[in-house]
Amino acid sequence: MTRGLGRYRRELGVAAALAVLLALLAVKAPAFFAGANLRDLLVANAPVLVAAVGMTLVVLARQIDISIGSQFAICGVAAGLLAKTGLPMPFVTIGVVAAGAGLGAINGALVAGLGLPAIVVTLATMVVLREGLRWRTEGVWIQDLPERFQWFGLGQAGGRTAIVVAALVVFAAFAWGLRRLAAGRAVYAAGSDPEAARLVGIHPRRVIFAAFVFMGALTGLSAVLTAIQFIDVQTSAGAGLEMKVIAAVVVGGVAISGGRGTLVGTLLGVTLLGTIGPALTFLGTQAYWERALQGAVILLAVSTDALPSFVRTRGGA
Amino acid sequence: MAAPEVAAAPPAPRAWTRHTHEGLLLALVIAEVAYFAHAGSNFFTTGNAGEVARASVEIGLLALALTAVILTGGIDLSVGSLLGLAAVLMGSAHRDLHWPIGVAALVAVAVGVGGGVLNAALVARLGVPPLIVTLGTYSLFRGIAEGFTGGIRNYTDFPPALLFLGQGRLPGGIPAQVPLLVLAAVFFWLLVHRTPIGRGVRAIGFSPEGARFAGIPVARRLLLVYVLSGAMAGLAAVVYAARLGQAKADAGSGYELFAITAVVLGGTSIFGGRGTVHGTLLGLIAVALLQNGLRLADQPAELAGILTGVLLIGAIGANRLVGERSRA
Repeated sequence: MTRGLGRYRRELGVAAALAVLLALLAVKAPAFFAGANLRDLLVANAPVLVAAVGMTLVVLARQIDISIGSQFAICGVAAGLLAKTGLPMPFVTIGVVAAGAGLGAINGALVAGLGLPAIVVTLATMVVLREGLRWRTEGVWIQDLPERFQWFGLGQAGGRTAIVVAALVVFAAFAWGLRRLAAGRAVYAAGSDPEAARLVGIHPRRVIFAAFVFMGALTGLSAVLTAIQFIDVQTSAGAGLEMKVIAAVVVGGVAISGGRGTLVGTLLGVTLLGTIGPALTFLGTQAYWERALQGAVILLAVSTDALPSFVRTRGGA
Repeated sequence: MAAPEVAAAPPAPRAWTRHTHEGLLLALVIAEVAYFAHAGSNFFTTGNAGEVARASVEIGLLALALTAVILTGGIDLSVGSLLGLAAVLMGSAHRDLHWPIGVAALVAVAVGVGGGVLNAALVARLGVPPLIVTLGTYSLFRGIAEGFTGGIRNYTDFPPALLFLGQGRLPGGIPAQVPLLVLAAVFFWLLVHRTPIGRGVRAIGFSPEGARFAGIPVARRLLLVYVLSGAMAGLAAVVYAARLGQAKADAGSGYELFAITAVVLGGTSIFGGRGTVHGTLLGLIAVALLQNGLRLADQPAELAGILTGVLLIGAIGANRLVGERSRA
């Protein structure tokens, strides 16, 4: 085990990359740091962070969930429909989070209960949930939402603050829990060595089930925090969210083989990938290159990880 | 050549379980044909069979190559994006550089091979998990296609020779692109089931370490499967552009998931080592018939997706009961 700051090499690397990007922006395009722009950036990325917290749990437990884009779409529609029944917004939020947890529990039951591979299970539930939603709604957006739906009825400024605060509270709570609670350590244990975890009295299957349930619940919250920014709910929302979130988690240094990584890394990953697009615009490049650059960042991040061991084992491989 | 048979031999399945999966799939395909022949209008016609085959070629090419990739225990999420990149570069080579369409098609395949080499280098040389590598190149390839076309440029006006490949029929009413899929299927079947390379590919899927100790050149085999995967994505790009008569940056979005579905439904273990090329073809046919049949039977299109997902979980669940080794 590496000691001291070496343990956080990836986090430091991503932080350095982010610092370079921000320094470049400070010199070339100081307008990037205008209050309005930074606020837009925070509001746009807060829901991504919430989903990424859930994905961090799932990946730490050595699993993956590619169905969250579909869960996100269903939860957004559920938020709209619940709000239209006249339910107050706090209860709408609770209801949607519970619905998301239920969807996550389906994945959890199939993966942890039946022992099926997560990537195939969530590929299947991604398709089933997305097509099921399209069948029921026939692609029609949820419109005529009550006044108090948009921005939680707090007005634009208040609503935006609420979104960012909610995301940061979730982040802080899980970051603390993963480090300080027995349940948090159990996620690391189950992810790094399920058999060893079992021998010390942890139930890896329960941990995996719980990770999927949290993933669903946080996806539900993410959907609410996104839906309230608009006056309609699109039924096609969330397509591709899974790739975006997994990319942020991986760039942040969470190992896909489980058991290694931190939520601080995830926060940095979300921030770096979320900043690239707007930064391109401010630097005068076409925004169309955003995805290419994100891909390059992912590859660069994982390659620099692998490089030292590559050099060491070159003769053998 | 080393004798890869000794490397990480699979726990020999009993004879009756060995072909269960393919048998069940075949029964499913027959049941689908029987049901839709009654429920759908014009389902049981040669014309419709051609349409089903035509619609399956691009996904089929990707799924065949993915079978080999997944047999090594890997995955390639980048094939749909690579298809898109190859398609727009082919369109540009033809329209902007005025290269003959045959050369432009070679450009598409070359782009695919190049993408495959990048994936292979990161997987085999640097040892980065394939899921992560191809997630990165999934964004990278699509992103380059988007940047290159400015997000809007659409390449059309392909010559009749290319459009024939995508829309024409050979004597006997066979859609012109179907022989390509047949050739690719024969190639991959021979490679996987009849060569030492195929045995090596499975051995890597069971245990990369064991395969290495058995003298299998693991890095070279991985290079081969990812390059083939890229090459098939390039070829699929040519067929795609020929069928639709256009190439945009979003060409082939989501195709990777359809292809993975066909492979896994076909009985290939996502952990590698176990699976067959004919299983993949059956999986492909089962999904294609379902989509086509439900449409002709006036059922909602979404039902095909839902049933495919349920079938997928049912298939791996059944596989698990038959004794898939767990790697929880």
